[in-house]
This record gives sequence, C-alpha cells and structure tokens, in this order.
Amino acid sequence: MSERHVTTRRGFIAALGFSAVSLYGAWAAYGAAPLPFGGRKDASPKADAHGSHDGHGTAEIPAETGGHGAAAGMAPEEFRFEHDFFVQKYAQKDGSVNPHADADAHGGDAHGGHGHADAGHGHGAEMASVEPVDVYLMAQKFAYSPDVLRLKAGVPYRFRMMADDITHGASIQLGAASRIIRLRPNVVTEQTITFTKPGEHLVYCTVYCGQAHDAMHGRIVVG
Amino acid sequence: MDSISTSVAPVGSRSRLTARVAALPGTDKALLTLLFGAALLALVLGLFGGFVTALARAGALTFFPDDAYRLLTLHGVSVFFYWLYLIQAALLLVLAAAENGRGLALRPLAWLGAALMLAGFGVSEWISATGTPLLYDGSPELAADDPRSVGVFALGYLLLSAGLTASALSGIATVLQPRLRGEASEFTSIGFALFAWAGFLVVSAIAATNAFLPGLLWALGTGPFPADHGTEWHILFHNLHYLPLMATVLVWYVLSEHLTGVTSIHGARLSKIVFAAYLVFVPPTSLYHMFLEPNLSESVRVVGSLLSLFVSVPTLAAFAIIASSLEASARARGATGFFGWMRGLPWRNPAMANMGWAVVNMMLGITFAFVLIQEKLAPMLSDTFFVPGYFHFFAVGVLTQTFLAALMVILPALGGGSLWRPELLRRMPAIVTIGLLIFGAAGITAGVMGVPRRAFDVSYGGMAPAAWPVLMALVGVGATVFAIALSVSVYGVVRTLLSLRPSLQQAPVVDWRTGSRGVGAAPAWTGPLSVAALVAAMYVFTIVAFQLIQSLPIIAIGGGHGH
Amino acid sequence: MKLNEELWLVVVIAAVWAVLAAVYALVPSLGMPGYVRVWGGGAVLFLMLAGVLVAVGRKAPRG
Repeated sequence: MSERHVTTRRGFIAALGFSAVSLYGAWAAYGAAPLPFGGRKDASPKADAHGSHDGHGTAEIPAETGGHGAAAGMAPEEFRFEHDFFVQKYAQKDGSVNPHADADAHGGDAHGGHGHADAGHGHGAEMASVEPVDVYLMAQKFAYSPDVLRLKAGVPYRFRMMADDITHGASIQLGAASRIIRLRPNVVTEQTITFTKPGEHLVYCTVYCGQAHDAMHGRIVVG
Repeated sequence: MDSISTSVAPVGSRSRLTARVAALPGTDKALLTLLFGAALLALVLGLFGGFVTALARAGALTFFPDDAYRLLTLHGVSVFFYWLYLIQAALLLVLAAAENGRGLALRPLAWLGAALMLAGFGVSEWISATGTPLLYDGSPELAADDPRSVGVFALGYLLLSAGLTASALSGIATVLQPRLRGEASEFTSIGFALFAWAGFLVVSAIAATNAFLPGLLWALGTGPFPADHGTEWHILFHNLHYLPLMATVLVWYVLSEHLTGVTSIHGARLSKIVFAAYLVFVPPTSLYHMFLEPNLSESVRVVGSLLSLFVSVPTLAAFAIIASSLEASARARGATGFFGWMRGLPWRNPAMANMGWAVVNMMLGITFAFVLIQEKLAPMLSDTFFVPGYFHFFAVGVLTQTFLAALMVILPALGGGSLWRPELLRRMPAIVTIGLLIFGAAGITAGVMGVPRRAFDVSYGGMAPAAWPVLMALVGVGATVFAIALSVSVYGVVRTLLSLRPSLQQAPVVDWRTGSRGVGAAPAWTGPLSVAALVAAMYVFTIVAFQLIQSLPIIAIGGGHGH
Repeated sequence: MKLNEELWLVVVIAAVWAVLAAVYALVPSLGMPGYVRVWGGGAVLFLMLAGVLVAVGRKAPRG
C-alpha cells in the first residue's frame, strides 16, 4: 500500500464519500444550520435588509413558536368558529375579506380590533415588536376561505390556517418564487407573515386533492 | 492515451457473469425471463403514462381531470413500484444465482414470489386505470367515499410486498449456498451486497405493509380510517429512493468487472463496508421528506436536515472506489492524460454507454437533491415541479439506464440470443441525457417559480406568471426527447429478450485486469475532481436558492419556515 | 466463533436500526410510531440474518 499515490488509498477514497457533508458550511453561513458550541449564525445580510422586523431572519426562529408550525392549543372547532367570525366580520362588498376594514372605517389601525382571537394564545410577543394581526385561512375542496384577502405591506399577520376536509397546500406566488404551506385536515398551522411590498399574489393548492384540484386558488392583495 | 495496451476480449468469449448466467438451469432461466419481461412491461406502461402526462402538462394534450390523474397514477405506479421493484427482484435473483454458480435456492419460493408480484402488478394497473385516481401514494383520504378503490389499490402493493419478501428470501438462501457447500468461508463483495440488499428489500416490504395494510383493513370494514397514511407513506417513500440506488451501485460493480475485468483495487472489505453503509445511513436520513409537515418540531427539522447531509456517503464512496479502480487499472496499463484514460473504456458497448451516462446523471441529480434537503429551502421547493425536475435525473438517467445496461449484458446470456443493434443502442444514453437536461433545467426553474408538481392546468384563471406555460412547454420538449431515446433502448432490450439467434458479434469489452506497472502508483484524479465539481455545484445552487428565498417580498415565521 | 467483518457489519446495521426505533418509541413528541414498526422490524430482521450467518459458519463443512 505504501507505494500507492494518495488518490488511490483507501482512507482517501472513504473520505471522498463524506464530501457532500461539507455543504454544512453553506447552510451555516446562511444561518440555516446550528453552529458548533451552540446557537446559529446571525441572520444573513439579506434577511437584515428586510429591516424593521427583529427576529425575522432564518437564524432567529423563536424556539417557542418554531417548535410547532401547528398552533399549539387551538382546536379545530375553535379554528372554525374564529374563521367564521373573521370572514363574517371583515367581509367586503366585493366578496373579499379585509381585516383592516374596521380600522380603516374609523381611521385607526386594526390592532386590538379583534382581541377575541388572541385570548389564550401566547404567541407573538417574541416575534416582532408590533402585535400581529390575526388572519384565518381555511382550505377545503376546492377553494380557500376567504378566497380574496386584502392586507397591508409592512404589517405582520398571524396566519392561522387549516384544511377542513383532506390535505391541501397553500402556495403564495411571489414573483420569482413561491412559499408553500402544507395544510393537514384538522391541524391548525400558524405562521406570522409580513409582506414587504404591495402587490397581488396568487394562492393555490399544491397537494392533489381531487378532480378540481387545478382550479383551487385564491388571492392576497397587498396594498 | 494512445499508449494504453487495451486487450479486447476475443470474439465469442464470455465473462464470468455471462458464462454463469448462460449455465443456469432452464427453470431458473424461465423464471428470470418472466420477471425481466414483466419489469419491461411495467417500464413501457410507465413510460407511456409519463410521456402523455408531460405532453398534457405542456399543454399539447387535454384530458378530463380524472383521466389526467389516472394517467399520472399509471405512470407513478408502473415506474416507481413495478418497474423498479420487479427489475430489482429479477436482478437480485439472477446475480445471486450467478454468484452461487448452480442456480437458485428455495426455487418454489422464488416462483411464488414472482406469482405474487405479477398478481400485484395486474391488480394495481387495473385499479389505477379504472378506480378513483389515487396517484402512486394511494392516499385513502382522496377516496374516503370509495373504499373499493382504496382497498384494491392497497391490495396490489401488499401482493407486491409479499412477492418481494419471497424473492428476497430465495436470493438470501442462494448467496449462502457456496458457504453451505464449504466452497467459500466468506462472501465476495458482490455476494455481501446481494445479501444486504435482499434484507433491505424485505424491510421495504415491511414499510409497504405498514403503509397499506390499514387501507385494506378499512376498506374491508375491519379497521379504522388510516388517517396517518401520509406519515407511513414517507417511510416507504424513503426506502423507495435508496433501495434502487444501492442496486444501481451494485450493478455498476458487476458491469465494471464484466466490461473491463477490473474489480475494486481497495479490497472486498471496503466495498462491503460501503454497501452496509447504505443500510446504516438511509434510515436516519428520512426526515427531509417531512419538512412541510406542520406537526414536525423545529428541532427535528434541524436534526433531520443535518442528518440528510450524510445521505450520499455510500453512493459517493462507491463511485470513488469504482472510478479509482478503473483509472488506476488503466494507468497501470500505460494510460496517460488527465481524463484520457476514459477513452479506453469500451464505449461502443451500449452497456458501457448507459452506465457512463448514468454517472453523469447521478452527479446532476445529487446536486439538486442537496438543495431540497435543506429545511429552510423546503417551503420554496417541496410540492413543486422542482421535485420531478430533479428526480428524473435519478429515476430515468441513473436507475433506468443502469438497469437497462444490466439487461443488455444479461439477456443475451440468459436467452442465448444477441443484443439488438448495439451501434444504435450505444447512442441513446447521450440523447436521453440531453432530454433530461432540457426537462430538468425547465422543470427545476418552473418549480422554483412555484409551478405545482401535480396539476395539469396551472393557468389559475389567468393569474399564473407568464413564464409558467413556457417552462412547462420546455418540460414537454425535454420529455419527448428522452422518452423517444429511452423507447429505442427499451425496444432494443425487448428485442434482445425475444432474440433466439446467437450472434458471433459480441458487444466489445476490454481486459484491464493486469497492468505492467503497479496498480495505484500513479495518481487517479478523476474521482476526486468529479466529487469536487459536484460539491462546488451543490454550493452554487444552494447559495442561489438561499439568495432567492431571502429576496422574496415576504417575511415568515413559524412552522419551521424561518424566512 | 470468528466475528468476521460480514457479521459485525450486519450487527451494526441491526444496532443502528434498533437505536432509531427506540428513539421513535421513547420520544412520543416525534409522533411517528410507524418508524418504530419499520425500523424495529428491520432491526429484528438483520439480527436474524446475523444469526443465519453464524449458523451457516458453524454448519459449513470444513476444509
């Protein structure tokens, strides 16, 4: 063995097998993998560029909320009740739902205008300095409810989402790419989402759910 | 490179593999011919379903939704279950029988296995064509009002699982025969790989039973509705990925020896460790399929992502062993030039061409697989066309081409006929790869932009981005190119299976077994440089994906989706 | 009995799978009992295969 070149030695060959593990470096650089000795790298520069929302970078998912995408504590029945209330309360004449409708009408902002939805749910304090506005999205064969949401740029929204019948997806088309949330039946999924720019976003189902799956879509209009 | 002293095997000579296959008992040959034929039928059905699906997604064909999803179901069931499992069972048995040198052990069990798998094949194809479309994962929630479709669909896979188990047990008993006869005190590296692979096939059957037995019981009215099907499916799905990859690497070992006479220069022990590594690394790396699941905790996501970094360890190690063994053997025979030694390989042999291009496809597939296994990127890529965009490099470019390469070597020996038009067949893998590159580039781009993977009409009332239909049309072009080239290869293999006329003209092989210089004394940089290029590509595409996801006009927290 | 490389490789496979099954069984928050059945079943299978290797090693004629 000693006369062999290093590239034909067993140890070298075995080590080559582990080469792809080095991709950890790229992950760590983007704060997407834990660093040795605890913690993760700070949010990447691009995440910082979003500016004003502390803790919104990949590196800083709060352990408490990050623990479960599913909203711990919210039962499906409670979700259905809150969803119905949300849709009814903020329904607009054109069929869309605007959680700022009350505040807009009274010249204030929406925060606190629907405190009922926050009762008993301690999320959010660590997410952002601004209390998120609650938004409910229900997926069912073959539509979303509400199917048109009117939101504002720069405002954090606590999206509570659930599939009512079978598994669906909710993909928000954002131009160059999309963001997907998988929705399991009777599992309340929660994400705090802030749209940073005005625009109109297609929302569509990404999990095959039956004959009219292709037609299942909605809209988020960010003003 | 011109100085390489490549011995070309004399006309009519047979390798150890083909000689042993040719000498198998007639009843084993009949069983193997049946299994290879059924596997090829499954491939033809799957190829047809996939091609039509791609044309429909490209907008070139229009179907009623149920028909379109039935075609997609037919495609997935035929290719991912019946082509890949039937060909694995057949290859396991033929290689085990060749290893034994005296045919199959537990022959009735092998026949029973074949009968069960073929029954499953019939049942699955029938219900895929006539029942509620369930896609290849057979999710019961899609047919909660149609228990018959759920039950019959599950029955098909359960029959396949039972057949696989029987075949695998026969394979295990067969590779143990030389030791029971006292002719060997340990396995060869191939023998050990067959032993471990057979065990893994049985575990895959356990995973399939775990996923589909509840559906059958529910349909029969003897069990609750299988609400956890999604999770149980993921376990099977993970097996489904890596089992054929292990088989592919094993076939590369076998074909390298057949085509060049070269065995590993690193000894059997390292090869055995690498094959065992598949079974060690595969189970802990399965969590990445579940990154979109709302119930998966953030800590499990992070651990799952980190573990998945190890998923390519056995494949890259096996690639490095084969590449360094071939290069070192070529250099020992005087080959010079950085990559020039590769010109000495028997590229005019279609099996070599298929295997060589399979390696190229593997590098492409691994590159993008490693973008998907990052949990922070999963919310941008999972459930989109990115997934079929990259995995066709594996499913078609690597697995199917490798198994066709094996058939091109084995079938003439098995049936006594000759390989159909080798000069034509050897050109197909490059065309398949060109088609896959078009399909993959357009599909991966479409997926990144959000095109869902399982939808035929993605216009969404005119709201979809204008680039989507253009990209999907390109996907259709790529699919057409590789489907035509692959069809030629499959046709050639089927003609070979049916051929009864032996030919004096054998597909060329070379003999690099003994070199004039010490094997391994010269550097062998092809393997390390290929792996370095692979890692560099992984870095580039991972960084591009991170940059893209961070540039989106959205900030999201929760569900483990940090940005 | 000689603990050759094949035997210890099969035992290592069984051990890794058993540990994995145990983790899924003992950490209920993972909530995936199917992993316990599949990898646990695999661990038992590979232990049996290890037993087969031992038995074959003993039974095989010497010389």
